[in-house]
Amino acid sequence: MLDLDHVDAFYGDSHILHGVSFTVRDGEVVCLLGRNGAGKTTTILTVMGYLHPRAGAVRYNGRDIGALSPYAVARLGFGFVPQERGIFPSLTVRENLTVFARGGRGDDWTLERIFVLFPGLKARERNLGFQLSGGEQQMLSIARALMLNPSLLLLDEPSEGLAPMIVQEIVQILHRLKGEGLAILLVEQNLRVALALADRHHVMNKGEICFTGNSAELESNDFVLRNYLSV
Amino acid sequence: MELLVAQLLNGLVYGVLLFLMAAGLSLIFGLMNVVSLAHGSFFMLGAFLGLAIVQVTGSFWIALVLAPLAVALLGIVMEVLFLRPLYARGHMDQVLLTFGFTFVFYDLVQTVWGRIVLRLPTPAILQGTVDIGAGVFSAYRLFLIGFGFAIAVLLWLLLERSRIGAMVRAGVDNAAMAAGLGGNIALLFTGIFGFGVALAGLGGVAAGPTLGLYPGMDTDILIPAFIVIVIGGMGSLRGAFVGSLLIGIADTFGKAYLQSIALFLIYLAMTVVLLIRPQGLFGIRYADAPPSAVARTMPPSTKATRAVGLIVLAVLIVLPFGLPDYPRALIAEIYIFAIFAMSLDLILGFSGLMSLGHAAFFGLGAYAVAVLGVQFGLDAWIGLAAGVALAAAGAALIGFFCVRTGGIPFLMLTLAFSQLVFSVALKWRDVTGGSDGMALAEQPSFFGFSLSHSLVMYFMTLMFFVAAYLGLRRLIDAPLGHVFVGIRENEPRMAAIGYPTLAYKLVAFTIAGAIAGLAGGLYVIYNGFISSDAVYWTASGDILIMTMLGGAGTLIGPPIGAAVFLLMKNVASSYSEHWLAIIGTAFICCVLFFPGGIWGSVQKLRGKAAP
Ligand SMILES: Nc1ncnc2c1ncn2[C@@H]1O[C@H](COP(=O)(O)OP(=O)(O)OP(=O)(O)O)[C@@H](O)[C@H]1O
Ligand SMILES: [Mg+2]
Repeated sequence: MLDLDHVDAFYGDSHILHGVSFTVRDGEVVCLLGRNGAGKTTTILTVMGYLHPRAGAVRYNGRDIGALSPYAVARLGFGFVPQERGIFPSLTVRENLTVFARGGRGDDWTLERIFVLFPGLKARERNLGFQLSGGEQQMLSIARALMLNPSLLLLDEPSEGLAPMIVQEIVQILHRLKGEGLAILLVEQNLRVALALADRHHVMNKGEICFTGNSAELESNDFVLRNYLSV
Repeated sequence: MELLVAQLLNGLVYGVLLFLMAAGLSLIFGLMNVVSLAHGSFFMLGAFLGLAIVQVTGSFWIALVLAPLAVALLGIVMEVLFLRPLYARGHMDQVLLTFGFTFVFYDLVQTVWGRIVLRLPTPAILQGTVDIGAGVFSAYRLFLIGFGFAIAVLLWLLLERSRIGAMVRAGVDNAAMAAGLGGNIALLFTGIFGFGVALAGLGGVAAGPTLGLYPGMDTDILIPAFIVIVIGGMGSLRGAFVGSLLIGIADTFGKAYLQSIALFLIYLAMTVVLLIRPQGLFGIRYADAPPSAVARTMPPSTKATRAVGLIVLAVLIVLPFGLPDYPRALIAEIYIFAIFAMSLDLILGFSGLMSLGHAAFFGLGAYAVAVLGVQFGLDAWIGLAAGVALAAAGAALIGFFCVRTGGIPFLMLTLAFSQLVFSVALKWRDVTGGSDGMALAEQPSFFGFSLSHSLVMYFMTLMFFVAAYLGLRRLIDAPLGHVFVGIRENEPRMAAIGYPTLAYKLVAFTIAGAIAGLAGGLYVIYNGFISSDAVYWTASGDILIMTMLGGAGTLIGPPIGAAVFLLMKNVASSYSEHWLAIIGTAFICCVLFFPGGIWGSVQKLRGKAAP
């Protein structure tokens, strides 16, 4: 469904992504790994239309979306969970969830279903965004993306800076989403989370993809683990 | 007691009108990160369109509904056609563009309705007075207070209780995130701009029967509205409301009981709030737009450019001999403003800080010459030296507070400080002459030559201009100048490699202030006269325009901008009554078609031509 084809991306004059190619198929969880500054977030931002590829193409169901704005990309059915979570601080938890919510096809995510999956958010329903803890913000950011009823979920380091117990909770939630057949593009530095969830892994280094494989292949590749993932 | 109640109610009336202005301004700023100087113009247009509608239909109420809608339409056209292409470019271009529109609208109103103060008729049923227990009060004014509060409540409900309101708040919090969730930010921007403009138009109509209608009512309401949102917090409706009532009441009581220092106190309050809580009383944060497209690199001076420079200088030396008095004097004025514009460019183009208060330092230099000359009989050249020192000291002091900030807070803070200086110049009449100004007793002489001779004046100003140009050129080519540019390009990096960036910015600000003081002092020597108008914020706006018009970030641009601006002003005003509209249109075209200013565009062309 999502297809990156030799994408080059820049911040101003600095060339960050060099010929990045990978594919996310229907119902698949694909993980991008790599050290700090490898270009993972840049890749996600390029997919979302915050940056536009200067060479290569980003395709969604065959259509070139490289020139679209974030607004147009989101409307195609992308659920974006940014690295900094992007909670609206002056909106309540409930408003954060509903403000840009959209109906999807068939099995829609509704507030009720969200609150079943994220009971913690139900308790905080009337709190303002800035009053949430880091874990709650991450939950809210994921829940908010689900309220768009996306076909593809983009998650940028959902486990970053969170306590192990909360990471565990998030992994379980993502597992359930995967079980329901939702396609996910996941950025992770936490190898355990990546191995637990993803069907395929792409390891990035200096803006290039330097390894592609499934969990077993990644686990057994000491060179990649040592040099590109600091394990 | 009765008087007190009456003052309080008058304060509320003014506060309510301010709120209608400030609410839109604040939302537009908070959501779109756009500083719209044209917001006062929409207030004025609302009032005059209201008058036209009353004249046709005879009904105030129809005007109260239709005029804001008409103004909103105009605002929407302006946003879609003119502002939208500029969002990616940053504040400088937006300020220049909306400033251009204020000129055009001012001229429009002046042309259609003339310059006399008009008044909207008070609607028939509100013509009488009402006994409110503590005295009688105009029914219309009471209505205004109720109306304003009702609008405030409606706005609050809309913003806090509706989904559209939530979208707006989400956009204010984080527009990029909202877009990434599929929020149609472009539509939201247009909607809020139109809505804010409609509120301003509504305020204009509502103010019509009490404040009167005249060209110039735009800036008279814009500046207090700016103060309101600075104090209340940008992007916060509650801040706009509380700030408006505070300023409305403080202004009314101040004018009644403190007269001359009221203005000073209000600007002082604004300055203090900005220093203690830069985000305002209710604001959450300031968003910062990307730095504007200033011309990036200056080609180093080569033999060729030096030769061209010498030729230009030779032409400038020969030029006045073939000219009559008037153009000589005009060019001398251009030299002075070229110095002024180059000084601003040191902070704007070379340090990336956008000041809307640079006239303060011009004023300090000017008043030093005038006051020392008139009150103490000191020689103008001693006054000039003192003026430069005073301006440098003032800039060091003001800069100490301002350079900590950047972007819009910097713009607001410099505006606040310069208005503080303005209020002193305006109200300390015994010393400064206030708005009537003060005149030098006699034209000083220059090395024994009388400056009343236009040739002497020409060469004196040319000399100072060349000296200032060469001095600044050396400064910018020197290591210090590279640090300034480095800070503009990437401040965190400069800080990371060990430069005390704040100190450098303060140095730039102080030097810029000193040179502005020099220009101000020369201006008094040239003009023989100074009044508080020279330090009003529009003077800061003019010099900002000249600098950007010519090309910020280049040293040649500002003099070109000063020349174009003053020539246009003088030539256009002698051939056409509509010179304001002509100049305004020129700014608008300049922003749209010559990003980076005239010289910036020339350089870009040259860059393209040469590999
Ligand atoms: N706004 C920007 N302007 C210029 N360069 C940037 C910008 N943001 C990131 N970079 C650079 O781009 C490179 C890739 O950054 P990116 O954020 O994509 O890394 P990442 O893999 O997401 O790292 P992390 O794990 O720390 O989030 C880095 O070298 C970074 O310095
Ligand atoms: Mg990242």
